[in-house]
Amino acid sequence: MSRQDYLLRKFLLSLVTIFVVVIVNFLLFRILPGDPVRAVIGRNVRISAEVQQSLREQFGLDKPVFPDQFFSTMGQWATGNLGVSWSLRKPVAEILISKLWNTLLLIGLGQILSILLGIILGLLAGWKRKTSFDVGALTFSLVAWAMPTFWLGIILLAAGSSWLGLPTGGIVSPQNVGKPLYTVLPDLAAHLVLPTLTLTILYLGEYMLIMRSSILEVLSEDYILTAKAKGLTQWQVLWRHGLKNAMLPIVTMIALNLGFTVSGAIYIETVFSYDGLGKLFQTALTKQDYPLLQGAFLLLAVSVIVANMLADVLYTYLDPRVKAN
Amino acid sequence: MRKLVFLGILVAALALTACGGVSNGAAPAEATPVAVRVGWLGFPDTLNPAYAFLTESYSMFDFVYSTLTTEGPTGEYIGLLAETWSASADGLTWTYKLRPNIKWHNGETLTAEQVAWNINAFIQNPDGWVTNSGYVIGFVSARAVDATTLEILTEFPISNMDYRASFLYIVYPPDFEKFATPEELQNFTNFSPIGTGPFKLATLDKDQRIIILETNPDYFSGHAKVDQVIYQTFDNSDALVQAIKVGDIDMTTEIPDSAFAAVSAFENVIAVSLPGRSITELIINSAPADHDPAPTRNPALKDPQVRLAIATAINKQDLVDVVLQGNGVTGVSIVPPTLGGGFWFNQNIKDVAFNLEEANRILEAAGYTKEADGVRSKEGVRLEMRLQYPSDQSSYPRAADMMANWLAEVGIKATPESVDPDSLVVATNPNADYDLVIWGWGSDPDPDFMLSVMTGEQYVEGGWSDSGYSNPDYDANYLKQQQVIDPAERQKIVWEMQEMVFTDRPYIILWYGNILQAYRSDRFTGFVQSPLGIDSFQSLMNVEPIK
Repeated sequence: MSRQDYLLRKFLLSLVTIFVVVIVNFLLFRILPGDPVRAVIGRNVRISAEVQQSLREQFGLDKPVFPDQFFSTMGQWATGNLGVSWSLRKPVAEILISKLWNTLLLIGLGQILSILLGIILGLLAGWKRKTSFDVGALTFSLVAWAMPTFWLGIILLAAGSSWLGLPTGGIVSPQNVGKPLYTVLPDLAAHLVLPTLTLTILYLGEYMLIMRSSILEVLSEDYILTAKAKGLTQWQVLWRHGLKNAMLPIVTMIALNLGFTVSGAIYIETVFSYDGLGKLFQTALTKQDYPLLQGAFLLLAVSVIVANMLADVLYTYLDPRVKAN
Repeated sequence: MRKLVFLGILVAALALTACGGVSNGAAPAEATPVAVRVGWLGFPDTLNPAYAFLTESYSMFDFVYSTLTTEGPTGEYIGLLAETWSASADGLTWTYKLRPNIKWHNGETLTAEQVAWNINAFIQNPDGWVTNSGYVIGFVSARAVDATTLEILTEFPISNMDYRASFLYIVYPPDFEKFATPEELQNFTNFSPIGTGPFKLATLDKDQRIIILETNPDYFSGHAKVDQVIYQTFDNSDALVQAIKVGDIDMTTEIPDSAFAAVSAFENVIAVSLPGRSITELIINSAPADHDPAPTRNPALKDPQVRLAIATAINKQDLVDVVLQGNGVTGVSIVPPTLGGGFWFNQNIKDVAFNLEEANRILEAAGYTKEADGVRSKEGVRLEMRLQYPSDQSSYPRAADMMANWLAEVGIKATPESVDPDSLVVATNPNADYDLVIWGWGSDPDPDFMLSVMTGEQYVEGGWSDSGYSNPDYDANYLKQQQVIDPAERQKIVWEMQEMVFTDRPYIILWYGNILQAYRSDRFTGFVQSPLGIDSFQSLMNVEPIK
């Protein structure tokens, strides 16, 4: 099969998956117990029973789930309209886009740092196996991987704000709100340090462990021995023959993690009051805000699928066997 | 390569930070406005009083808009837009004399005509002005007698007119006249509001959840001693506590019970514990047997002696000491002791004393005998029940455990269960599918709302009754107290109603929790401590920086 056919098949499969996800999303949230109108208004003593009924009508909840609600939602989606959030009273697409940027900034930075550091440290640890560096790196990554996110975040928040004067929450200081982000870079960076650091530490361990075991496996292969016998330097062996082969499991992991990136990091965003998608998902769920939930989960599904497709494409370059099959 | 560029940007940004670029709330030296930075855990959903769901919205309304009257720190009502007001002898005409020369934030002068427009809109368009319409029930119309005199006609005498007027936020009519349908009005969030309040809205960023209020120099009743009040939203209380500790914020509107002692010990921070208006109760399923759907509960709960035994087996003082860490008082009535400065709270109700032996005796006398496993039963009905609580309240699990232990000692097996709050709403009303539930209310300043929760009329889908209590005498009293203008006479009825609820026990009131707040004493002084909290507009108008 040519690369083109392979990719086309993957693409069509992805479309089918998205369609299934859309239907499951629609049904899933409607199975939840509770009453969305009550969830949206909370225990607001000012909203009478009659008003709640009119809200129910406004949200379309007075009609049966199937066929009325189902077809009206599908019809809306077919025209590219994700609807209006009940709790935030803004178009869902608008809300998702504004939070998406914040999340991409935070998670992107954290992921890039943890990927780079993880690969480098994992490579070195594998290469210098059984040295004190290896033992140290291994211990660190196991501890980092096992650490509860919320706990690490709070500890870093307390330490960073007390000793380094770093901010305790938000994306920029109140007086910089509304200004374009590039004009307030130092302030933005100060706010990003702690959440990025938390995220980096948490993911670093995972990448490092995978990289280390992967490179160990590769280094025991015969072709490495051949390379050494050819008289290549250790660095050349590692770079030209080791790294590329050891990268395969890491690529899968990166693709999976990046896919879930848009779901944000609920804990990290909550600890640092960072206005991103993770926090939004949580709010949407507690408020049973169907339009927002459906939109958010659609975005999540699409990103995971796209990231997986990208991994597949990358595989065709990294691993010739994929193309051959 | 792209990754490297991204990394480079981060490193550069971090370097800038390291070079002293951290601005962290500190502004440049020249002409810095004096700002009180407030940390809280919520954010308003709208600034349109027609359709606001969240309490944070109401906090903002108090800053930006004005009302005819407002509740003062000691629980009495004082004039705000109104200088004086009075009711006619028959109680059907209220005349408000407005203060002269009140300015809107845009510089125009407020007229009685505009106030009348507001009130008539609330009366005539209840589908649009959803949240205001509840406060004008019984109003017929409003009219401007002259530029500063307003007259409101009512259908029947209204006992709590001052309280009602304190929730009628007067908005700038030109911003609201253009809406043709209720939906159009409701979808308008008015995030650039024009009001007559002590602060003007300078910035509201819904994404970053920052609100900056600026002092209104033309306010009709003095003006604030600070230039700005900045609200910043935190997503978790640990970060909020840390923020007040390191001075990222100057005050916080809430502190968890469990953190209060720690915050009190912070340097330069004063933590305040103020009697508030919240009540926490144990709800006993009291839905009528003919309720549809049929109540699903332990039938023994209908027995007044079982209710009395439960009440006798709860050590409320222990709950306050352990669960609230002492930041509250034991509860007895559905009307909290702070309403109207204590005027509405029935002080004559004598609570049953905690006594496990007595509780055992009551059950024994009522014919509930202990089985082999220690659980009592009568005619095949075992005293086994669910003890549920909403999962979003951190203090309830501990309270439920403590109560389950006491109940076990008197032969009642209560099983604590954490339930998602939405599911619990439906379980209590309309399904009546529960036995015991721990839950709470934030009361209005007037007793009317808390009293309404117990009326039979509220036990409909979407109503506020969760106990299902129904008592025709109580309901008749409820209507009566709404139409009695003489406060002393109304007090008598309100006290009687509290007594009824206490005796029938659809609720066992567990405690009245305090408002827990804190401020930086090295930055500001002058916070007014009252049941309104140190974040009331009266308090923030009085705050001044430490020189």
